[in-house]
Amino acid sequence: MLDIAFAKPALPKSGALVLPIAEGAALTGLAATLDAAMEGGLGRALEAAGFKGKKGQSATLWAPAGGITKLVALGLGETPDTEKLGGSLVPMISGEAAAMVAADGLTAEQAASLAMGAALRAYRFDRYRTMEKAEDKPKLAKLTIGAAEPAAAKAAFAPMKAVVEGVFLTRDLVSEPANILTPAEFADRLKGLEKLGLGIEVLGPKEMKKLGFGALLGVAQGSINEPRMVVMKWNGSGRKKMDKPLCFIGKGVTFDTGGISIKPAGGMEDMKWDMAGAGTVAGLMAALAGRKAKADIIGIVGLVENMPGHNAQRPGDVVTSASGQTIEVINTDAEGRLVLADVIHYAIQKFDPAFMVDLATLTGAIIVALGHEHAGLFANDEELAARIIAAGNAVGEAAWRMPLGDAYDKQIKSDIADMKNVGGGRAGGSITAACFIQRFVQGKPWAHLDIAGTAWSSKDSPTIPKGATAYGVRMLDRLVAEHYEG
Amino acid sequence: MLKIRRAPSRGALRLRPVAEGHGPSGFRGRPGEVLEFAPDERWVGAEGASSPHDWERLGAACIAAAGNAQRVALDARGLPPGCAVALATGAMLRAWRFDRLKAEKRARRIELLVEEPARLEQPWARAEAALAGAAFARALVAEPGNHLTPGAFAERLKALRKEGLEVTVLGRKALRRLGAGGLLAVGQGSAHPPRLVVLRWKGGFKAPPVAFIGKGICFDTGGISIKGAAGMEAMRADMAGAAACAGAMLALARRRSPCPTVAVLAIAENATSGMAYRPGDVLRMMNGRTVEVVDTDAEGRLVLADALHFAARRFRPQALLDLATLTGSVVTALGHHRAGLFGNDAALGAAVTAAGEVVGERLWPLPIGQRHREDLKSDIADIRQCMPAGRGPQPDASHAAAFLREFVGTLPWAHLDIAGVDTAETEEFPAAKGTPSGFGVRLLDALVERHFEDPHRL
Repeated sequence: MLDIAFAKPALPKSGALVLPIAEGAALTGLAATLDAAMEGGLGRALEAAGFKGKKGQSATLWAPAGGITKLVALGLGETPDTEKLGGSLVPMISGEAAAMVAADGLTAEQAASLAMGAALRAYRFDRYRTMEKAEDKPKLAKLTIGAAEPAAAKAAFAPMKAVVEGVFLTRDLVSEPANILTPAEFADRLKGLEKLGLGIEVLGPKEMKKLGFGALLGVAQGSINEPRMVVMKWNGSGRKKMDKPLCFIGKGVTFDTGGISIKPAGGMEDMKWDMAGAGTVAGLMAALAGRKAKADIIGIVGLVENMPGHNAQRPGDVVTSASGQTIEVINTDAEGRLVLADVIHYAIQKFDPAFMVDLATLTGAIIVALGHEHAGLFANDEELAARIIAAGNAVGEAAWRMPLGDAYDKQIKSDIADMKNVGGGRAGGSITAACFIQRFVQGKPWAHLDIAGTAWSSKDSPTIPKGATAYGVRMLDRLVAEHYEG
Repeated sequence: MLKIRRAPSRGALRLRPVAEGHGPSGFRGRPGEVLEFAPDERWVGAEGASSPHDWERLGAACIAAAGNAQRVALDARGLPPGCAVALATGAMLRAWRFDRLKAEKRARRIELLVEEPARLEQPWARAEAALAGAAFARALVAEPGNHLTPGAFAERLKALRKEGLEVTVLGRKALRRLGAGGLLAVGQGSAHPPRLVVLRWKGGFKAPPVAFIGKGICFDTGGISIKGAAGMEAMRADMAGAAACAGAMLALARRRSPCPTVAVLAIAENATSGMAYRPGDVLRMMNGRTVEVVDTDAEGRLVLADALHFAARRFRPQALLDLATLTGSVVTALGHHRAGLFGNDAALGAAVTAAGEVVGERLWPLPIGQRHREDLKSDIADIRQCMPAGRGPQPDASHAAAFLREFVGTLPWAHLDIAGVDTAETEEFPAAKGTPSGFGVRLLDALVERHFEDPHRL
């Protein structure tokens, strides 16, 4: 993670200087100091560049004064979005080893959110680039935020930093290729979260067999890589015994070939991130533990690989889920709901949660429905749904409510079992998938986020470099912070 | 035609909604159950029916239970008038059939049995207006493409003059004068040139009208971006949006609605030929903007764009509502139970949704996001009509809505993508499975009645 420090604003002796400037405002603070050192040169340069401080505007000066190698002026507009600003400035100074951001015109909270934006954008997954030359790598290692009240800004940043670290854990997991991140490796990495104070319990195929996880094990049986279920516990309420914890559940298909109902070759490499739901739950739990959230929270991930091995399950197979309900497998590529069915049942039996939120890259249909800007939100609880949407809007992770209902549920009636795992072709495919999951929640408060369109991005945004987005970590962290801590 | 009587006529099969169980027979009164109680009497499970929509579905179930009986009597004696009317409405919707092109015509004779027929006269007249609109729309949708050409469609609409509607038909020449580049381009590949048809109902008070805009593609081959052969025959129904708007106008006229309304119907055939428009073509639309064609099978949004602009500029309506079988994407999103709702006005959206709930034509809101609009940036024109294929699954329903929004200006607007519901594919609809549902007619009629008929609210 980018090394971020908070200090009193001062002209740096070397490296870059970033000046956020409000729209139409005169140069003040550090900007005025620099302008004086340049004998009015800064003001003249900005005027020549047509820089007026509008949102999104920027101007660059090389070696403006002293040892400063690069100066970037950034427009704040009238109402600054400091997080976005922090993200946008990173690519502009990535060639410099160190930079000072003059945040003297910002509140401590704004300075901290600027730092968060910068940290989020500076993420890079380059573990497997062995030939990259040093000069091609981004050099930015240290960012100093020059804040009017550095101590207050630093304190405001502390919980944000924990969330950023959670986001990075998710991005790492989601970016890892499937030959590295098998279910067992995934579980091992989650074991490492114990150092944050999380209780980690890993269940293997034997334990799951004993629990009757016929649906999850059916998906896993085609792969040589054994499945795992990992339970992460955060006891933040201070009570000895968890009472009605919040529960987050993730689909973790470490690679999804589709199984016997195999997918076409084009684009199949994307299926390494079919575990993004589980990756998000892991990052969320790390964030909540990292900032010592004052609530009891359970995270559970079902980790399997969906392969067309010689023992793979077939279309037409009937499996018995942990709940006792039987499922006719029509399409082995509709495997995520099978995994979730057993994990959700386990969560209810074991923890009697206050609510459950599951996250899954579940259907292609949700992309056809909503695109990449919104995840699909399905819920049986109006309050929970409204809170999730509001939390998502606050952090730039938008969700759009989608319908449930008997008419859709009827589509997954089976002639041979209690239900089948797909219904009615492509029509309403995300909805019938959600109806399937709903059959396992026993009427408890529940929300389901279909993140197939939002877990991965093909282009950069201010705070998210292209690739794994970690969509959901910040939203659900916010949900907990807003409503469930005290 | 339905007759309201006190007792069944001779030879009629009596159909009784029954909510209680009947010991000896094992009948429990549950929905879906039918008991052959006597040769001339069948019981139909009615347990739990409460909303008007429930009673409509029950009426439909009665007809389904009647087998081949030509004369049936719905026994609504003892039911409140609202339930009786809904029961009869559902029955009429279910009994509708399209046999114009069959040698054998078999119209069922349906009676509604009530204690006091006089009390039902008024509410039934109201229901009949909506049913007439629905039947008109469904007959249009059922017509094959060789029968219902754009010219023939316009002729059928002209017949609405006798109902008191003002009907104006604009042909190719007039459309050229208007610069309707979208509608003309889509229609140029067909031997049957396009039309823009305007239906007006003056209403009873002076106010800006409510405008319905309909997509009327009489047959959609896809054009040069031709569709796969499988299922293409269903594309005769690609004018269901225009048909629904026309049906709603008929319903409003029949019941002498006080609200001024107008319907603008963009009617064309999307055919393949040497004259057809091509992917890559750039069109100049009626509002002067240029559009890059990416896929000639995304033709609906092109004809609607011109119709929306025409309606907005010519009539300055208080609300614009467009109906179109627009995208396959909305079917993937919502299936066959709900239509997709898009728009720019939350209050209008809520009113439309509520009207849909009343008549069992249900909607679900879908987004027009920033990204959806950005995806339509064109390198050569002001906007492109859709995203090129081959880059993974795409939210085409939202793209289409983002495209249409560019042509409505600032007026309150709602767009109903009815591609999944124009044909009754599920038991949710009273209409028989596989028949045109008439989706939209009763919704628009109910919307106007509930929301636009009070001159003091304007």
